[in-house]
Amino acid sequence: MLRALPLTETLSLTALAVLLLLPLGIGAYPVRLATVIFMWAALAGAWNLLAGYAGSVDLGPVVHYGVGSFATAAFMLKLGLPFVVSAVLAGVVAMGIAYAVGTPTLRLRGAYFAIGTLALAESAKQLALAWDRLIPFPLTGGSAGVSLPLASGYVGFYYVMLVLMTAVTGAALWLQRSKFGYGLRAVGENDRLAEASGINIHRLRRRLYVGSAFVIAVTGGTAGYWLSYINAMESFSAAVTFQMVVMTLLGGLGTPFGPVLGAAFLTLISEYLGTRLVYYYLIVIGGIIVAISLFAPSGLSGLLQLGRRRRLEATP
Amino acid sequence: MRLLEVRRVTKRFGSLLALNGVDFTLAEHEILGIIGPNGAGKSTLFNVIAGLDAPSEGEVVYRGRSISGLGPDAVCRLGIAKTFQIPQLFPRMTVAENVLVAALYGHGATLTDARRQAREWLAFVGLRDKERAAAETLSVAERRRADLARVLATGAPLILLDENMAGLNQTEVEAAVALLHQVRERGRTLVVTEHIMRAILGLADRVVVLNYGEKIAEGRPADVMQDATVVKAYLGEAHG
Repeated sequence: MLRALPLTETLSLTALAVLLLLPLGIGAYPVRLATVIFMWAALAGAWNLLAGYAGSVDLGPVVHYGVGSFATAAFMLKLGLPFVVSAVLAGVVAMGIAYAVGTPTLRLRGAYFAIGTLALAESAKQLALAWDRLIPFPLTGGSAGVSLPLASGYVGFYYVMLVLMTAVTGAALWLQRSKFGYGLRAVGENDRLAEASGINIHRLRRRLYVGSAFVIAVTGGTAGYWLSYINAMESFSAAVTFQMVVMTLLGGLGTPFGPVLGAAFLTLISEYLGTRLVYYYLIVIGGIIVAISLFAPSGLSGLLQLGRRRRLEATP
Repeated sequence: MRLLEVRRVTKRFGSLLALNGVDFTLAEHEILGIIGPNGAGKSTLFNVIAGLDAPSEGEVVYRGRSISGLGPDAVCRLGIAKTFQIPQLFPRMTVAENVLVAALYGHGATLTDARRQAREWLAFVGLRDKERAAAETLSVAERRRADLARVLATGAPLILLDENMAGLNQTEVEAAVALLHQVRERGRTLVVTEHIMRAILGLADRVVVLNYGEKIAEGRPADVMQDATVVKAYLGEAHG
């Protein structure tokens, strides 16, 4: 899978060093654009861990995103905690919810898990919208949403999102050569055989689900604070889920850098086409997605590795 | 010492009685053959022992402890591992990784140990040259050997082989029988279902014969083959 690891590691560490210094050399707009890319790379990357490595297609990761946004807002507004503490605590809340929700749903197989999590996300949205009417402890502001304190500057968000993206990508790299990762791949490829080989498949899947919930929730909390306004319709919107899915598939499912490539590609192309084809750009993007799915089913990272794989196969 | 006891195990699927009060015991380092016509309940019995199915009645006792109701992963970690009638693989992982996973999770080996064990078991079953190939590229005979390497790598003392020789030619069967004798010499206990009588005669110390989910005979292979009920079960009334 990853025999060229030293090269991959060198390249990724170099890229990381460049990204760490990047805000010094460029203006506000590129830094904001890069922040958006990191955010989506972290979200898509977290989804990729579950779908690409453990074979569980989760269509409700936006639940963690929404929980993260509102919990971060609540810790900041109600308890007056600083942002980073609030975001981490929100991540812990999301882990608790993911543990409770994941225990029954992760037992569902294949399409049933996908449909179950999709339904879960829609229920979570309705619950968030109705929360303030039902529960005497207001949190979500109903359809009006919640305003957060204004943050000063934008560079802080750049670094938080960079850390999240790096953590997720690092986790994906670690999975490729750790005991946990081998177990997950076995579960993803043939869960009955994995079980018969001694793997507690439910516990393994749940551990990953809970871990990815933390990252998604912290990302959601950071995004909410960055925009300084959140509402349940958007923070629990299935569109967030689908963007995570599309970016991962475009970039390469089950590859460590696929989500990063997919997030960068889709964000940049939307930005570029959005200013030039104001009315038609979504149609063009749809066409590009279809073309990539047809001609490069293993995604952009598959395209980039094509030459190397061919060479590997040629040597006996 | 008794390694395994199957006590009056009954398994119903709706109105179908797949196993009806099956009893037998197994001693350590024994090779037990389970034979019977198609649909006799051999695979169901294996699934019940390995935790893939729960018995409707009765229990399975391993080293004095009831294991009925445990999941297959827990049963495997306790020490019973099973091959599949249709050999199963992790298709896009390499052959070595297939075996590695079993060593990692079957008895909690570390990565370094598991890698070494995977290489050893692949050498043992004669698949060392395929260790870097994707598992899905293996032929049927190779898949059976990979499956055997996988169950051996779990470290389980008790191994259930579900028609592990099906589809092999005569030379391959002889090689497989010799290999299983070596498995026993390495301290494992084997329960084997097989259609190929020659293989069972050369392999098993004792056989249990199932027919329509019931045990109809038990004993040394050569004796059981002479048994009138067994002959009738295989060949029909006219031969009995």
